Amino acid sequence: MRNDLIIAALLVVPALFAPMVASPYHLTFLLNLWMMIALAQSWNLISGMTGYVSFGHAAFFGIGSYAGAIAILAGWPWYLAVVAGAVLAWIVALPLGVLTLRLRGPYFAIAMLGLNELGRIIATLWVDMTEGGDGIALHPDLLPSLTANYTLMLILAIISCGMVAWIYNGRMGLELRAIREGEDVSEMLGVDTVRNKVIAFVLSAIVPGAAGVGYAMFTSYIDPASVFAPVLNIQMIVVVLLGGSGTIWGPVLGAFIVTGLQEVFWAQFPMVHMMLMGTLLIVVILYLPNGILSIIHKRKRIRPDQITPTSEPAKSAGMQEVER
Amino acid sequence: MMELLDPIVLTQFAVGGILAGALYALLACGLNLVFGVMKVINLAHAELMLLGSFLTWLLFTTFEIHPLVALPFIMVVLFFFGYGLQRVLIERIVGTTELSSLMVTYGLAIIMMNLGLLIFSSDFKAVPALQGAWFLWDEIIISIPRGVAGIVALLVTLSVYLFLEKARIGKAIRAVAEHADVALICGIDVVKIRMITFGLSAAMAGAAGVMLSMIYSFSPETGPDFILKCFAIIIIGGMGNFAGAFFGGLLLGVVEAFTAGFISTQWAEGVAYMLLVIILLVRPTGLRGKAHA
Repeated sequence: MRNDLIIAALLVVPALFAPMVASPYHLTFLLNLWMMIALAQSWNLISGMTGYVSFGHAAFFGIGSYAGAIAILAGWPWYLAVVAGAVLAWIVALPLGVLTLRLRGPYFAIAMLGLNELGRIIATLWVDMTEGGDGIALHPDLLPSLTANYTLMLILAIISCGMVAWIYNGRMGLELRAIREGEDVSEMLGVDTVRNKVIAFVLSAIVPGAAGVGYAMFTSYIDPASVFAPVLNIQMIVVVLLGGSGTIWGPVLGAFIVTGLQEVFWAQFPMVHMMLMGTLLIVVILYLPNGILSIIHKRKRIRPDQITPTSEPAKSAGMQEVER
Repeated sequence: MMELLDPIVLTQFAVGGILAGALYALLACGLNLVFGVMKVINLAHAELMLLGSFLTWLLFTTFEIHPLVALPFIMVVLFFFGYGLQRVLIERIVGTTELSSLMVTYGLAIIMMNLGLLIFSSDFKAVPALQGAWFLWDEIIISIPRGVAGIVALLVTLSVYLFLEKARIGKAIRAVAEHADVALICGIDVVKIRMITFGLSAAMAGAAGVMLSMIYSFSPETGPDFILKCFAIIIIGGMGNFAGAFFGGLLLGVVEAFTAGFISTQWAEGVAYMLLVIILLVRPTGLRGKAHA
């Protein structure tokens, strides 16, 4: 715990002073890094901790950025727009979590995949509100400075990391991890699984909602494809899994690596970048299921979903049922 | 509204819906076959379909080969592609959790989609090999591409069903789906059967891709729409249940056709998700799924 605070201080203090020294280019890079941490950490909160994989967390990002952009166009100050984005994401997540988290395993993943598509379709079709496929352009006069935007993303990253650390170290973190290890068993031992899952899910939607507004203000233009973006979904997943899912520092480490890679590949070859993400995802699942942190820690945690390449048929279907 | 209730109009919707549903059925049956045998949810299934579509397009535009002539060839190519994919990649995740299989195949889907974008760009392609329309009893109009695509899709699905029911390998596949360990004890080469299963599933996806290329325009980004509809279908029909996926596919086609007719085509695109949500809420394990163990 004390070590965590020391690492956090070592990261945050220089980050606070970055706007005074860094060029706009570097500041933009860092802004993207904080956004990645904020998003990945949110994904970690629900999917890393409980094992319920969300393939559609970009939906909250998209909902938030549209809410924020529309609020700014309506004349709201930008900080209220950020709050609006977070609140709307929260409002959408609550009934959604209550509905979908009664479902076990793959059904939730599929439902979230559908949500992102549905969000994109609605944003495209609801022309009166969202200007459809043309997207919303925000006039620079309405938007905060780069430094303000940078600070916003930094704060969101800190909030999301703090949320994960707080939950991880508390009773709820234990309960969430118990759900991941064996939902039926933990339910039998008195864990209110649905309540825990829904709380984690709703909390995990707030920061992406606010980050979406930050993104809209930073780029000053959003359209359905850029905010309900599959690339965001896969980045969140890759970042968390690469660093170490269900840990406090894994997503931060993963975000540093992925944002670095992105800086090298993204600008020139977007498709190659996506293919790289896909490959990275497969490699991590097959060879590094506990992420890079697990190598650093050397303390091997045994998890039932730990992947062993089972080519020999004896370990197939029937045997695994018992372990699950 | 009254003219919509005319029996001829209703029949028109139903026939159109069944023909469109046949394509969904073919696709969903392939997806469900893999899930039934190895509990792997293949998120790259729609990308396999698009591989078939793009092969059709290449053969049609460069050599002017008719899609229906290309169909057996493309199915064979896709079979071996799937067979190899199972050998190299999917076999490694068999027997792990459903979520790790979801993520590996999601990575695969992303790779294939972007490879497609890199090679073919995001422009929409079409294969206008067939034109014209049939008239049934002078009243009901069926466009020939849709009619042919629907009938071929039904035939392919039916032949795979018969293969699974009657052929020796088909029985072995069902045995592995039933219980892999017992199948192994009975002398079935389980690993090989899984490779054949994935190959078969890929060939079905390829056939669906050929049919798709004749009736819709497509791009490498067409995949997600179809994979989500397929999920809706297999959840309606029961995961791992071949016949369930077949009837679920037809049902979705008909429901979409009626929604498009009575409300609007945009709503028809969303009806699959609504069905999915409603069914998951009423029966969290699918209409024909077992209760959770």
